[in-house]
Amino acid sequence: MECYCTAKDHPVKILVRARLAVRSMLPLLGVVQASFALGTLLLLASWLFIFEWDRQQRVPFLSAESATRAWGFVKDLAGVGKVTSPAYADSSEWWRGAHLAYDTLAMSVLAIMLSGTAALATFLLGARNVMLGDLAPNAGLASHSVFLVVRITWAFVRSVPELVWALIIVFIFTPGMLPGALALAIHNYGVLGKLTSEVVEGMDVKPIRALQAAGAGRATMLLYGVLPQALPRFLTYLLYRWEVVIRTTIVVGFVAAGGLGMEFRLSMSNFHYTSVTLLLGWYLLLVLGVDVISSQLRRLTR
Amino acid sequence: MASVSKLMESRRLLMIILLGALAWSLASVEWKDGVLHTRGISALGEISGAIFKLDLSGETLGKLLIAAWRTVAYAVAGLSLALVIGLPLGIVGSGVLNSSANKRRTVQTLVRFILGFLRSIHELVWAWLFVAAIGLSPLAAVLALAIPYGGILGRIYSELFQDVPEAPLRALRNAGASEWRVFWYGRLPAVLPELIGYTFYRFECGIRSATVLSFVGLGGLGYQIGISLDDLAYGRAWTFILGLVGLIVLVEAWSATVRRKIIL
Repeated sequence: MECYCTAKDHPVKILVRARLAVRSMLPLLGVVQASFALGTLLLLASWLFIFEWDRQQRVPFLSAESATRAWGFVKDLAGVGKVTSPAYADSSEWWRGAHLAYDTLAMSVLAIMLSGTAALATFLLGARNVMLGDLAPNAGLASHSVFLVVRITWAFVRSVPELVWALIIVFIFTPGMLPGALALAIHNYGVLGKLTSEVVEGMDVKPIRALQAAGAGRATMLLYGVLPQALPRFLTYLLYRWEVVIRTTIVVGFVAAGGLGMEFRLSMSNFHYTSVTLLLGWYLLLVLGVDVISSQLRRLTR
Repeated sequence: MASVSKLMESRRLLMIILLGALAWSLASVEWKDGVLHTRGISALGEISGAIFKLDLSGETLGKLLIAAWRTVAYAVAGLSLALVIGLPLGIVGSGVLNSSANKRRTVQTLVRFILGFLRSIHELVWAWLFVAAIGLSPLAAVLALAIPYGGILGRIYSELFQDVPEAPLRALRNAGASEWRVFWYGRLPAVLPELIGYTFYRFECGIRSATVLSFVGLGGLGYQIGISLDDLAYGRAWTFILGLVGLIVLVEAWSATVRRKIIL
């Protein structure tokens, strides 16, 4: 364990020490047993609450009436029994869908690249060993506070879901691709930053020690010791997150007015259920395509 | 030729692809008409200033408490249902119960396809479809969460079951155990800590997803944030957002503690 208590006591150091003290008391409580009990309690309470709430609805979920409604909805999606021909039988509708899918893809790429750039620029500032631990020869109050600020920022931006960020951002930016991409980027910046800094914290320090022993300065050590080890993992995470982002892009599009999401929302509100089917088809193709591309690109990181 | 082979060096190639992707995506944004609202900057000021004017009235705090409980209830119920979907599919899909290689490959491909479909559609899209199909029932939210999460859990579980070291399993097999016994006494105990740890991590994600789900009108934290922003009540919106952040930090701390205990 690193010792943070050398010279004068900064407020930050007192905080860190308090955390360590709390952690050392935990075994007394039997965390796993307590968690198991709490989990069981939560499980029972949640299901009771949900069934009770459902019972009070006008149409309870488990009833013949809701089954009829659900079947009717499936028929609407398929366009059975409608006078108008279904949207998915119209090739111009498919082309429109292709255009929207292209926009959605661009939006997801912009989002992941923005968050990746931001994470690459700051991940070292949130790595404990680089800022405070054994890779920081003389960590002062400044590096303690930078570390805390970066960590708290990551925790905050990733706690707030993409959709909530989008709701806020549409007050500032005009509707379109950019606000959606920014909302996705903000949330994923927190995720990527945390994951990458954890790679740095868990990395093999021997090559870095060798650099230090050869007289390398701090910048040289980070550039030639830390970065080459962290980069492949960072790129893998980036591509994994892209697969998540493409699934979420449609959701952000509901409010940020870009790509498939906006059109999905309009079709749902106008009861154009056969277009919903077509858009879902494009969505599935997009998700599948990105999964394939991402797994091919991941090979290149090795 | 040397320069070509250097270019094709895989990591450099990846960097070029990524930079190209960034340039392409930046170029597809319509910059020329301006991207900010005319009042965009002042709106930014008002919204960020409102974080210091939180709405802490009794009414809002009461709503916060109810919405937070609903969010947790959705997450817990949804995840437990996801476990019911994901665990059997994960076990079958890992193919470890089949002794013939041919059968194993068929089962793996089939189940992987099902799992891939389950997790390809976002939970909010499912929620919307369910609400359109059966109306506003909390079970719509639970199902919407359970389907993609079942797909994710199934995939991770099947990978865990496949990656168990062979030696102890072979010992069991030599003692005459069937594949099912090998699974029960060899594979499951070997991966149980990691399995529980990962499920706990997914619970964390489930809270965030449940928040987003409630936007379709199912009354969780996301729904409250949405209404507050519609009313331009930024202070109230921040109260709910910070409530959400608090809830997630709490669950993260819990899950991290449990994972440290059982995995190390």
